[in-house]
Amino acid sequence: MEEKKVLIVGGGIEGVRAAAQKAGAGNHVTIVEKFPTLGAERIPRDRIVTPDNAFENPELDKVRNSPNVEILTYSDLKKATQNDGKVLAKISKKSLRVDNTKCNDCKACIKVCPVNMYDDFDEGFTFRTAVDYFNSTTGEYNIFKEDMPVCQRTCPVNLDIRTYVGQIADGKYLNALATIRGRLPLPGSIGRVCPHPCETACNRQYLDNPISICFLKRYVADVELAQNIEPAYKTPEKKHPEKIAIIGAGPSGLTCAYDLARMGYQNITIFEALPVPGGYLWVGIPEYRLPKKLLKREVDLIAAMGVEIKYNTRVGKDITMDQMRKDFDAVFIGAGCHRGLKLQCPGEDEYQGKGIVDCVTFLREQALGQLPPAKGKLIVIGGGNAAIDSARVGWRMGFDEVYILYRRTKKEMPANPWEIDAAEHEGVILQYLAAPVEILGDGNKVTGMKCIKMELGEPDASGRRRPVPMEGSEYTIDAEIIVPALSQGTDLAFLGENSDIAVNRWNTFDVDDETGMTNVPGVFAGGDVVTGADIAIRAVAGGKKAALGIDQYLRSR
Amino acid sequence: MIYEKNRRYIIPFDDVPADRAVMPEISVDERRGNFTEVETGFPEDVAVNEAKRCLSCRRCLGCALCWAECKPEAIDFGIKPREMELTFDEVVITRGQDNAFEKINAQLGFGNYADVITDLQFERMLSPTGPTDGLVVSPHNGEIPKKVAIIQGNVKGGDDHLLSSAVLGVNEAILAINRVNDLEVNLISPLCQAFKDKFSDDAKKVAGLTIIEATPESVERPQEGGPLTLTYSQNGGSKKDDFDMVVVLTKPKIAPEVAALGKKLNQDVI
Repeated sequence: MEEKKVLIVGGGIEGVRAAAQKAGAGNHVTIVEKFPTLGAERIPRDRIVTPDNAFENPELDKVRNSPNVEILTYSDLKKATQNDGKVLAKISKKSLRVDNTKCNDCKACIKVCPVNMYDDFDEGFTFRTAVDYFNSTTGEYNIFKEDMPVCQRTCPVNLDIRTYVGQIADGKYLNALATIRGRLPLPGSIGRVCPHPCETACNRQYLDNPISICFLKRYVADVELAQNIEPAYKTPEKKHPEKIAIIGAGPSGLTCAYDLARMGYQNITIFEALPVPGGYLWVGIPEYRLPKKLLKREVDLIAAMGVEIKYNTRVGKDITMDQMRKDFDAVFIGAGCHRGLKLQCPGEDEYQGKGIVDCVTFLREQALGQLPPAKGKLIVIGGGNAAIDSARVGWRMGFDEVYILYRRTKKEMPANPWEIDAAEHEGVILQYLAAPVEILGDGNKVTGMKCIKMELGEPDASGRRRPVPMEGSEYTIDAEIIVPALSQGTDLAFLGENSDIAVNRWNTFDVDDETGMTNVPGVFAGGDVVTGADIAIRAVAGGKKAALGIDQYLRSR
Repeated sequence: MIYEKNRRYIIPFDDVPADRAVMPEISVDERRGNFTEVETGFPEDVAVNEAKRCLSCRRCLGCALCWAECKPEAIDFGIKPREMELTFDEVVITRGQDNAFEKINAQLGFGNYADVITDLQFERMLSPTGPTDGLVVSPHNGEIPKKVAIIQGNVKGGDDHLLSSAVLGVNEAILAINRVNDLEVNLISPLCQAFKDKFSDDAKKVAGLTIIEATPESVERPQEGGPLTLTYSQNGGSKKDDFDMVVVLTKPKIAPEVAALGKKLNQDVI
């Protein structure tokens, strides 16, 4: 039999067993394991042991001593790609920072190390020091140092949180702001709207509560504003001549432009279909969460770097995609998800525009001042942040009563819990375990909605309990306006017919993990058109990735 | 593995403010009919105090104390990682050593009581290379337990799970009984037919182990410093018993990043 090269990911008991088997069949085996030692000394789960043979694992010795097995412990599989039946793997063996050939196991380093951390290998049962051995018989001494603190690692754009929070503690607010702007051009806006995954990861939560990272970011942005300081974003002396087009002035497009301008690109044009910048930040996030004036200022700072923003210019109508690709050296698509999905219930099509307004349109028209004055009752259907935003906007507009209908309970609601609480606090009426059945109308306009009560049944594929209608529990709510807020999708009509840019079955673009490039060289994408409707900071991350990809692409031409 | 130092993880310094700052807001009455920003931002002293709460986490701090202490000069902060690009004909993706597990019934006290531990933690405790060198001690008070319950944490985990976890429970009981004189172990789990067919007879021969076919309901410590009280339901009735330590059997779960890799390369994770 021909010798094959086999990669085993994971050096636990299953990995060691597979390695022994593959090596025994004459293959060349490489094991990649995250921890500094293989971990196959486990108690069996398929036979009853005696006290003497419980931790014995003959396969482990076989694997350790086999000339056909290469063991890469303390290593990460960074990337794996399939090509022509082969798998190309990028592996990084982390530095132990201890030369174990010199180490004499005296443990002096362990005694002086001031850092105590949970020991993952012992299931968090005990603590280890930052310098430690891993397993008294098989582990090597190593110094454990993460690339980044957990907050920075969790942040999609890897903001250096520890540094800027430290600078705030020292009272150096503007230095902190400069630290943030090193990676993020919209600190005031993101500092208001971000659902802050960094705080969810923050280690302080194990002591009491996480650090209020997001609001601290907002604080330093507000300091600059309060002190009337006009920062100038610097661009380098050396300029690049290439022309770059960006579709959409949302968080991803703006960040992409910002990063490219900082690299020295001076011919950047953003095409924006709306008369305002910011994308969903302007037309999706309501004013009471993010004042437009503040957003406008952050956009103006980016524009002042020499980025041209062409408003009221819809790609596909005012300029075709083909023309754009001819006129520009690279194109970045950051068009976002601005299409509200439908309810799919009777009466919806009939009354479309006559009282039925999807949440994206509702929020946009409100933000642009295009909605008629509020009258009567408003029903919002859905449980996401867009539903809460629509309801709180409706409540502010002055609807008599504002309802949110959600088919599961508060516990399952995908919206941020603090937003749900705020809506309830303001007087929005939340009806849980209720679903729409039919839109009612008088032939000209919506008059109400027939609903049905639900109960929770067995868990579905998402792990949440599936709501089941309760027979005979129908009821009616009178309403003038009904806002379905289910989910948002992309609108890729601007690509035109016969587009060669590949679109997947979610109607989003598949892009290269590292460069953000689509299947067409020179065309990049990022933000919600790649991820589907997602949070702003992830769109920013998409814009940053593409900026690096565009630079790489243009410089290597 | 006892170090000559105070093994505390986080020292609550007096000068570090403890409570997370609350964002001030305008009142609900001020919100109706306008779009004024609701959250008004931190005042300066609140922001600075909040920032001071940050623990500045990192693992190695780079203090170089170990480097100064190391006589054979083995510590070298400059050792670089080794980057490789390799090509393979075949890939096998395994769960690895992350040992993630499905959510445990919250009523069973895991996370609330230090002496309610997982089967994985118990395995480390029983291992000669583990944190206690194989000694069985209660993490709650450091004493050697006299009576231990091994209970099922995922009663609806399916027959395969009930089988493999019950076998693991029996094995852990055998090891623990071997280490501690006169230790009494109760294994409390709904048993699947395969376990009864294949392993019940052998398990019954283990002196000190009692297998109870029942569903664990809750674990509480009614009295500070006292034993844990386990409530379990059996044949429609409810029973209570006291234990010095409780081990929860967990259902293994594949870590999301491993599952994503499997999906990407079109491979089952083993």
